[in-house]
Amino acid sequence: MFSRRALEALTAAITGAFGIAVIVQSLDNGIGWSTAGVESGTFPFMTGLIVAAGSLYNLARGWLRGREIIVDRVAFRRTLALFLPAAVFVAAIPLVGMYVASAGYLLATLRMQSGLAWLRALAIAILVAIGLYVVFEWSFQVALPHGLLGAWLEH
Amino acid sequence: MRTLTFAVVAASLVAAPAFAWQPTKAIEFVATAGPGGGTDNFARAVQAAIVKNKLLDQPIVVVNKGGGSGAEGYTYVKGMAGDPYHLVFGTSNTWQQPMVSKVAFKASDFTPIAAMVQDEFLLWVKQDGPKDVKEYLAAMKAKGSSAKMGGAQSKDTDELLTRMIEKTAGLKFIYVPFKSGAEAAVQLAGGHVDSHVNNPSESIGQWKGNTQRPICVFNAKRLAAGPKVTAAEGWSDIPTCQEAGLAIPLFQQPRTVWLPLKVTPEQVAFYVDLMKKVQATAEWKDYVEKSSQSQVFLTGQEFTDYMTQDSGRVHKVAEEQGWLVK
Amino acid sequence: MENFDLLLHGFSIAISVDHVALMIGGVLLGILVGVLPGLGAPNGVSLLLPITFGMQPVSAIILLSSIYWGALFGGSVTSILFNIPGEPSSVATTFDGYPMARSGRPTQALATAFGSAAFGALVGVVLITCLASWIAGVALKFGPAEYFAVYFLAFSSFIGVGGAPPIKTVVSLTLGFAIAAIGMDTVSGQVRLTMGVDELVKGVNFVVAVMGLFGIGELLIAVEEEMHARAVSSRIDWREVFRTIASLPRYGWVLLRSAAVGCWMGITPGGPTAASFMSYGIAKRVSRRRDKFGTGEPEGIIAPETADHAAGTSALLPMLSLGIPGSATAAVMMGGLMIWGLNPGPALFIEQPDFVWGLIASMYLGNIVAVVLVLLTVPIFAALMRLPFFFIAPLIFIVCVVGAYSVSNSYLDVLLMMGFGVLGYLFKKLDYPLAPLVLAVVIGDKAEDAFRQSMLMSQGSLRIFVDNALVSTLVGLGFALLLVPPLARTFGRLRKRAA
Repeated sequence: MFSRRALEALTAAITGAFGIAVIVQSLDNGIGWSTAGVESGTFPFMTGLIVAAGSLYNLARGWLRGREIIVDRVAFRRTLALFLPAAVFVAAIPLVGMYVASAGYLLATLRMQSGLAWLRALAIAILVAIGLYVVFEWSFQVALPHGLLGAWLEH
Repeated sequence: MRTLTFAVVAASLVAAPAFAWQPTKAIEFVATAGPGGGTDNFARAVQAAIVKNKLLDQPIVVVNKGGGSGAEGYTYVKGMAGDPYHLVFGTSNTWQQPMVSKVAFKASDFTPIAAMVQDEFLLWVKQDGPKDVKEYLAAMKAKGSSAKMGGAQSKDTDELLTRMIEKTAGLKFIYVPFKSGAEAAVQLAGGHVDSHVNNPSESIGQWKGNTQRPICVFNAKRLAAGPKVTAAEGWSDIPTCQEAGLAIPLFQQPRTVWLPLKVTPEQVAFYVDLMKKVQATAEWKDYVEKSSQSQVFLTGQEFTDYMTQDSGRVHKVAEEQGWLVK
Repeated sequence: MENFDLLLHGFSIAISVDHVALMIGGVLLGILVGVLPGLGAPNGVSLLLPITFGMQPVSAIILLSSIYWGALFGGSVTSILFNIPGEPSSVATTFDGYPMARSGRPTQALATAFGSAAFGALVGVVLITCLASWIAGVALKFGPAEYFAVYFLAFSSFIGVGGAPPIKTVVSLTLGFAIAAIGMDTVSGQVRLTMGVDELVKGVNFVVAVMGLFGIGELLIAVEEEMHARAVSSRIDWREVFRTIASLPRYGWVLLRSAAVGCWMGITPGGPTAASFMSYGIAKRVSRRRDKFGTGEPEGIIAPETADHAAGTSALLPMLSLGIPGSATAAVMMGGLMIWGLNPGPALFIEQPDFVWGLIASMYLGNIVAVVLVLLTVPIFAALMRLPFFFIAPLIFIVCVVGAYSVSNSYLDVLLMMGFGVLGYLFKKLDYPLAPLVLAVVIGDKAEDAFRQSMLMSQGSLRIFVDNALVSTLVGLGFALLLVPPLARTFGRLRKRAA
């Protein structure tokens, strides 16, 4: 599915892009020496340069060697099966809040992927949501997001 | 004085049901400082006064958002427009920080409630350092451009005051910014800087321990006589800077409370009244005394006027120093 | 000997039914907040702070410091079992703790960690007892240049011990430095590298980064390699706990060395995180079993844990004697001190001997209470490993998401954590080392601040780093650690060629 070459290129592109963003941004802060000492952009600028140069090297080296497949189709499907529902869960938080989102996420994964019976999956999902509420909101007074749903319910 | 405040409290208690608005859920106090910082102590003192005297039926949670020298907390509450359940606790940073730093808020993003206390500034030297202001000024002058002043943060109140001292006394300082006043105090104790301008509460422990001592206070009159700090001296024994020969009559830092924008006048009135009640409690008086601050209560027009005046002063120094953000 | 008398006096204050009850309550609460990533000792401490206002200061500080002990121990649990470090200082514990737990020895991994942690803390307390006044004096000698030298030493003792490709190590390290620079800059008061996201002015929180890089990243790797197929068999076995503890003295030299590193970094302002990394780095350099490091080697757990706790304990001393909190928890406690009307500072020891020595005595007791309680929980935590992967994986996701959010009530942090998760997966897949990145995120900006403060003070002259015996020794040691291994290698190769 994916060769080492492709993943190396992807990673080098990510780090390289970050490095360039750092270089560009640190120019705003000023580079070099001023009356207030070493200017605040100097150090990030240097790290940005090194990150960008290193990424270029890793890109070239990764491209030249490594045609072998390191993530095959089966492995990739497994990773996605774990990551995609989690991403949906995270995306749902601003809408339905942490409690509903995490209960829904658990219910879905336990029922669909692990094949637990509806009732068991539902019971676990609700218990976890209640547990979260008790530990965070109730005892440590850390308000988890209630989302648009929560705002709507309050009205 | 006491009977008067009691009268005010009594009157406001009677008047309480007249408020058109009452909170119906938990209130969040957002402290624009990390745990243990001056603003954190301020928010927690208000919380303690309210909780212990049952001034509110709703619980209060103090949340620390001290990232970016407090910008984190201001930005967070700015986004809560119309929500009367988030109060931000800060300092003059509300108007000062946007002037000198590219942050995503400005003072007009908030509804002012009150300034509740003014923190004092003193000039501190090492225990075996210059014995008074005259000696200090002479010693710094002799050092030329290698005189070092420590302080908390950059382009903040400490550096502002440092630059004002430079100008008034014709000196040149290397200002070394540390993370907090407490850190600056330790650096002075170790002799790595020549002086700093800490608040009383930031250095009282060091003074008691005889590693450093204050030589003057930036106020028009001496501080209130509390219990003696060291065997020989207390706060009221420290001369004002003006009488000691450094002509900066007054420099203080207000501790302030704000709501986000788009709240109703009833909500503002409710919190103004709540803060007034807080000031009448024993817990609050204890906090003010222990931290050697001066109590004030600026609200409404008075607060706005103060802000305008202080902004003008900050703006002048910031312009001279080239700190203003473009 | 005078200190010893004071300590006995302290014990007479600390030992009472009430106080021991407070310790047990505090430790249990501490373990709970320590185990949950995102929550930490500061949450527990600030939750209980209002309750303590009415207490005697000694009772109050005993309660709060017990939370601290509990959280220190609890923080290692998730690092070892799920590769999710709850605090910066337990990152180094994951390097060998997690592999050991995965290979079916979670009980041994946890017991090793707790046993060596208790030893480290004990050494720290003994040091405080005997050398309190001397240590306070030493800490005053550290100006910005010396601070920088300490951070430099921590970096150089850790960098270069891994076998990762050098350029990938460099990218990982500098990436960490750049991430650490995001947000408000102390020295200039300027906002840096926010990439147009206003909220980033607060910086990237460390816990958010490691939960993504380690926790989520590891999960993605694990599911791909079908790790869940290899179920970890961990029987609840109390004897295993005792056997492990009884075998610890065999590593006496590692324990002592790590405790020394920890105390040194706790007194000098390096802190527990730098201490644990440095100790791991040194252990890996000098151990005879260095090839086994990273695969579940006991020494790789003992070294960071001992140093972490020795540093965490001795870091309470600067809080009391100088008023500089060594950690967020210490900062909350210090706020408490002020509310109780005590001023941390050099005079505290003289003015409030009952308070100070009561606290020091309670450190001995609190640690013993904490280690006993936490060892009792080992089989329970180890049993978590037997839960099926399909159940534990979504649960870890939820715990990480909630944890990232609760660090500063921010949804952005949740998104960042997911991003770091993907990055962690890619890095792990392609042999980029994660540890240098993490170390740079934790102490990178502090090192930069110290460097720039030094440059301000010396007005641009590098001579400030060789100005006195202390700073030049530190810098020299740092260079030696950095340069000796590659030089020795080159020299060895040359000699081989000549022969």
